[in-house]
This record gives sequence, structure tokens and C-alpha cells, in this order.
Amino acid sequence: MTISNVPVQTTTLQSGILLDPQWAEVTAITPEAEGISTYWLRFVNPAEQHAFRFEPGQVNMLYLPGFGESAISISSDPQDHEKLGHTIRFVGNVTRAVSRLKVGDVVGLRGPFGTHWPMQEIEGKDVFIACGGIGLPPLRPAIYHIVRNREKYGKVTLLYGARTSSDLMFPHEYDEWRKAQIDVEITVDRGDTNWNGRVGVVPMWFYHFRIDPRKTAVLTCGPEIMIRFVIFEAMARRVPEESIYVSLERNMKCGQGSCGHCQIGPYFICREGPVFRFDDLQSFFNIEEF
Amino acid sequence: MLNETLPEVGSTITIQKPVFDLILSRLKEAGYLTIGPRVKNETLVYETIEILEDLPRGYTTEQKPGRFRLFQDRHSRYFDTIPGAHSWKQFLFPPRAELFALRKNGHGWETTTGQPDTAKYAFIGVRACELASIQIQDGIFMREDFTDPIYHARRGRVFTISVDCTHPAETCFCVSMNTGPQVKQGFDLNITELDNLFVLAIGSELARRLLAGIPFENASGYVLTNVEQKLVNAKQQMRRKLDTADLPQLMLDNLDHPYWNEIGKRCLSCTNCTLVCPTCFCWDVVDEMSLDGKSTRRERVWDSCFNPGYSYQAGGNTRPTIYSRYRQWLSHKLGTWKQQFGTFGCTGCGRCITWCPAEIDLTEEIATLRKEVSQ
Amino acid sequence: MEDHENVIEVLGKIPWFQALSPEHLQKMTEMAHLRQVKAGEILFREGGKEDYVYIVIEGRVGLDIFIPHRGKVRIYTAEPLDVFGWSSVTPSSHQRTAGAAAVIDGVVVGIDSAKLRDTCEADHDFGYIVMRRLLNIVSSRLLVSRLQLIDMFESPEA
Repeated sequence: MTISNVPVQTTTLQSGILLDPQWAEVTAITPEAEGISTYWLRFVNPAEQHAFRFEPGQVNMLYLPGFGESAISISSDPQDHEKLGHTIRFVGNVTRAVSRLKVGDVVGLRGPFGTHWPMQEIEGKDVFIACGGIGLPPLRPAIYHIVRNREKYGKVTLLYGARTSSDLMFPHEYDEWRKAQIDVEITVDRGDTNWNGRVGVVPMWFYHFRIDPRKTAVLTCGPEIMIRFVIFEAMARRVPEESIYVSLERNMKCGQGSCGHCQIGPYFICREGPVFRFDDLQSFFNIEEF
Repeated sequence: MLNETLPEVGSTITIQKPVFDLILSRLKEAGYLTIGPRVKNETLVYETIEILEDLPRGYTTEQKPGRFRLFQDRHSRYFDTIPGAHSWKQFLFPPRAELFALRKNGHGWETTTGQPDTAKYAFIGVRACELASIQIQDGIFMREDFTDPIYHARRGRVFTISVDCTHPAETCFCVSMNTGPQVKQGFDLNITELDNLFVLAIGSELARRLLAGIPFENASGYVLTNVEQKLVNAKQQMRRKLDTADLPQLMLDNLDHPYWNEIGKRCLSCTNCTLVCPTCFCWDVVDEMSLDGKSTRRERVWDSCFNPGYSYQAGGNTRPTIYSRYRQWLSHKLGTWKQQFGTFGCTGCGRCITWCPAEIDLTEEIATLRKEVSQ
Repeated sequence: MEDHENVIEVLGKIPWFQALSPEHLQKMTEMAHLRQVKAGEILFREGGKEDYVYIVIEGRVGLDIFIPHRGKVRIYTAEPLDVFGWSSVTPSSHQRTAGAAAVIDGVVVGIDSAKLRDTCEADHDFGYIVMRRLLNIVSSRLLVSRLQLIDMFESPEA
């Protein structure tokens, strides 16, 4: 609908508004699994790097000029102010362009966006983290926080699963976490000759753990179908909806609660999410194609 | 009796219709782009108007679900046409806007700043529903946590001349949405058109000063009664209704009702409704790269939740079927919008009904959903 | 390997056996035996005859299916308190559909399937409790299989 006799103004947003990216350099790339790598970024401007703070569960928008942006969970330790880790699975145009980046390349970065895991609210409780596949990276900052503040939490369990043993993320860290009194239980959907551990899906292992519904917080992230069954199992053990926290993913574009793409019901995932308390989400979750 | 003093803000005056040209030229002298309804290609558009005669004098619109006709009627009023597909949102929230442009600079990129935005609009003929829509978009684009600089700059410079609707179209239901037909606030000048006069309500200091030296009379009791009567008639003429008493809950409690599939069978997902809707605000980001890879720009463009790509993310599409996209639109507009922004997203302008090629009428769909649910 | 006192003690600790009356628990004990297994030890083979239904007490038992050209695929692991080999209790199956081997050293309880079936026939109250329990196990196993089937972690096509 162009208007012919009203002059079309090419207008530009003034800088300083959140839609402008800041610039960051790739300092290292860690391959994690097939098609997944962690990109370590450091702001080009040291002042920006030292000023940047994020909470576990928050998201950054990575910008590759000419290709576009992609919302990526920050997967590194929030107390590490030297660099930021972004674990990326190469699936779309932008992320595939990311896979061609080399150390030293510069990308745009803006954030952090969204809500975070409620590390303060769940102090004093038992923490049951149930996640799978690429759902572990957004929870890793939360695990680091727990390790650093172990005495603030009760019994802590990490139940993590992936498709096969070669898809498991961060296997070299499990023992470190066990040393910090976190019960790390791993499972895979399909066994193979290298694997002597559990074979079976994440949700079904719930019954192996004694969960006190009165004082357990459940944190979950992963494919939505897995989340659905984890919640089902948690509620079967009478964990109340207010004690279950979920991280969801939707097409995120502006990160500002303005463009509308990331909406699920009344919530903008970039603003009221990605971490939700399940009782807030319940009436909009699990509705076909909503 | 010519009156040499300026009318007070809040007062109502009358002017002879040709005097309006004086107001228009005053606005143009002050640097405003005067935009109003015009007839073009047998339809109504919002474009610049120079003089009163540019307006669709004597025209009436006939609007039904999926039907719009503009025809020459037997009256000679200027402001009788109920708006067509165009709305004012294209000026405050332009369909395309550059967000930034970058040029490669060695290993990194530098921002090339564009021209600052200087658009200054005078909107002539804003209906009550349209003003309500603008105010809804004010709450979306200018918020504590995020303000769109384009919207903010342009909105601050808008001079609003609104108009009371005295002859609503068949698709109008502003009475149900409590947004019209009378314009009550938010204007600089408000016009109620009588056959021989314009009745002007002064809404701002800016409007007041604009009228310096313009011949006017204070509105007489007779005129005011006439205005009252016309508005009452307009209200009564409005047959289309939308019962909002049980909204948004009616939709939020029945998101999985099979009736949505029924609507989905008729909807073409053509995005007309979102294009013509004055409150729809979704947008997309388009990144372009020059062929030599040395410069790129990012543009903001209008988007629609009916676009199949809207809900696409790596991993698939969360709303691949049309029914779920229609449900998203309606359960947002008359449902979750309330929780997000405190009002409904609909002002009863009826455009989505007029411009839907499948003749889907949301007032009917909600009434039917209500009936289906209660069974 | 049969040690009645030990078996009763072990069975009594298993939650669902606690629902059995002392008489029924006694009957169960008479059909059960404790068995220690070493890592890699095979409990039964695919295609083998039905003999025991097992409960893991300690350790981990893997259930494998052999696929020609692909080798042995582990489809499930039974952890402590998991039941496996339950298809031997159902009337219709005639041979093992998967093989079972200990993944790590452990202890299992084996219950004679033929005797269990006969006892269920003779004592319907006992049979009802056993079958009800088996139904729960089978249904949860079915859900697991379904989730494995839909491949939750499948990498999406861009």
C-alpha cells in the first residue's frame, strides 16, 4: 500500500535504541556434538564486556550482517566476565552462516533478553533439573550458580538425556558437578556399543527419584514434547504447578515485545519468557498449534 | 456575527464550510502534510489534500462482508464516507522503515547514519474508531520498556482533525466497542458536519491559535442540539453488534474448541484483515546485503500472523494450519490483547469485515462460538 | 542359590510386594530366587524359552535386540526395582522378544513364570494383584517406547 503523492520518507531509527547491535569477537569455538558448537564471544569494546551481566536462562541475539539474527541462550558461567558462551545448533540460514565463522570474526550482539531461572526464589528447596538434548545449555549457567552457592540449595539432581551417547552435551563436566554434590543421572533414547549407562527417555526416569513435592522445584528445558511429559511426571508426583519452571522457545525477532512473533498467548517470550512458571503458562500450554 | 477573539479550548464553534480552506492553508504554511480521504481508482485512500474540494464530497460507501463500493450519493457533505482500506497507521508505523545501515570497515562494520525523520502530518477526518486505534497503538509503540523512535517522533508532531460519524456503514460496530461514533477526546479539532456548517470543537491550544482571524460563530443551542441528535441517530443506525461481556474469557477458555476448525476452512489466510486493521502491529525484520558484501541494511516491514512464515522457526512451524492462525489473530485481538495492553485490540471499525474476501465477520464468528460453546 | 529367608527379606523391601498379604507373599517367595550377576552375564537370549520374570535389586540390566547388519541395539535398561522379562507371564507369548544382559555387576530376583501363571489361575485374588501390577508396568513401558519412537531429539530440517 504505497501512497503515491505523500513523499516516502526513508527513516532511520536513532542509534542507542536496543535494535542496534554491539560488536563482539569470536575468541574460541568448542564443538560439542554433531551440528552443535559453543561460540565464545567477547565484546570488542572492553568497557562493554566488563559491564555486561546476565542471569541464567537469558538469551542474546547474535547478528550476522547481511544474514540476520538468531536468538541464542547464553550457556556460560554468569560470573565469568571475560567471555560469553553461546551454544548453537546449526539449523537455519543464520545459524548455518554462524557455523562458517572463525576465531577472530566479529558479530553483532544484543541482549540479554527475557526472564531467567529463579535461582533466588528456589533457595532452600531441592532442585530437580530435567532436560534433554539442546535443553542443557540454557540450564548450564543455573548449574554453575548452584555449584557456586551449593549450601543455599537442598538435594540437587540433574536428569539429562539425549538421543544417543554421542549427542550428550558437556560430558566432561558431569564429574565436576558430581563433586559439587549434584546427583547427575544421564540417559539416552538409543543405546550403542559404547554406552553402559541408562537407556530410556528422560520423563520416565522420574520414578527412580524420591521427590518431596513440598520442597522441590523442577526446572526443565528441551524439546517441547519432552517438556510436556516431564511436567506430566512431575505433577503425577504432586509437585505443584508453582514449583515447575519451563524454558520455551518461539521465533524471536526484535527481543523487545514489539514485533509480535514470539507470542504464546498473552506472553512475549522475549519479555515474559523464555523462563515461565508453569502455573502462569498452563492454560496456553499443550493446546494444539497454539 | 464575526468574532475577533479566539475561541476557548473546550468550546464549540461553527464555521462556514469554505472557511475550512483557510485552516488547511494555515496548516500547510506551518509545515504540515495535510492528509485526508480522497477518491482514487474508485476507492478511498488517505493522501495529501490541498483544498476542501479534494475531499470525497457527496460520496457514500456501501460496506458489507467482502464488499466495498464507493458511489456518488444525493447529499453534498464532505465527510460522509466511512473509511476504506487505508488507515492512519501507515503514517505513524510506516510499512517499510530502515532500522540501520552498515558499511564494512576492515574487519568490522560501521553504522552509516540515515536522514533524521522530519515527517509532520495533519490528519484530516479521523473517525472516533480511528482515533481510538491510534491511542491503542500509542500504548504499544511508546511504552516504558520500549519506545519506537519513528512512532514517537511522528506522533508528537501530528495535528489531529477528527470527525464525528453521522452515517455509519453497515460493517461498523464502534458502539459495541465503546469507541464511537462521537469523538470525545484526543483531538486538536473535531468536526461534526451539518448540511450547511462545520461544527468545530476546540481540543487544544495549538488548534486555538491556528484559528486566529478565522471567521467563526459560537455554536448556538440549536446547533448543539442538532449535533446531539445526529449522534443519537448514528448510534441507532448501527445494527452490527459485538457482545463483549464475556470476552476475553470466552475465547481463552475455548482455545481447543472444534469451531475454530470450521472458521479455518473458510479463511484463506490472505492477511487482508491484518493489513487494513488499524491496530495490528506485527512486523518483521529483513536483512539485505549488497552484492559485493560490503554494505548491508536492516529494514522493518509489516508482517501478519496469518503469514505461514510468521510462526516458523528452525525446527518447524508452530502454526502450519490456517485454523490455528485465525485463532491466533482473533484470540489475540479480542482476548490476550487485554492482558498485554489493558484494552481490546479492536475498535469496531469494521474494516476486517469489509475487506475479507471470504466474507468472514468476526462479530458473527464470536456469536457463533458463544453458541457452540454453550451447547 | 535359593535362600528363603533372604528372598523374603528382599521381596518385602520391594514396594509393590508390600501390597501382598503375608500368605500371598509366602507363595511368591516359593517361586522366587535371588541371583547375583556379573557385568556382561546373559540372563536370557532373544528367542529363548520363557522361564523367569525378573526384578532388578542392584545394578543395571540392558535389554537388547539383534538387528542383522546393525548388530545388537540396546532398547532399554532396567534399573533397581524395574521389572523385566514380564512377557513370560502373559499367556500368549512363547519366546523372548529381546535379550537381557547385565551391564554392571548386580543382583536380580527371578520368579518362575510357569508357577506364577499357575498360581494366578488357582488364586484369582493373587492373580488380580499380579496382573494389575503388570498392566501398570506394561503401560509405562509402552509410553517410553512411544517417546522413543517419535524421536524427541530429532534434529529438525531447516
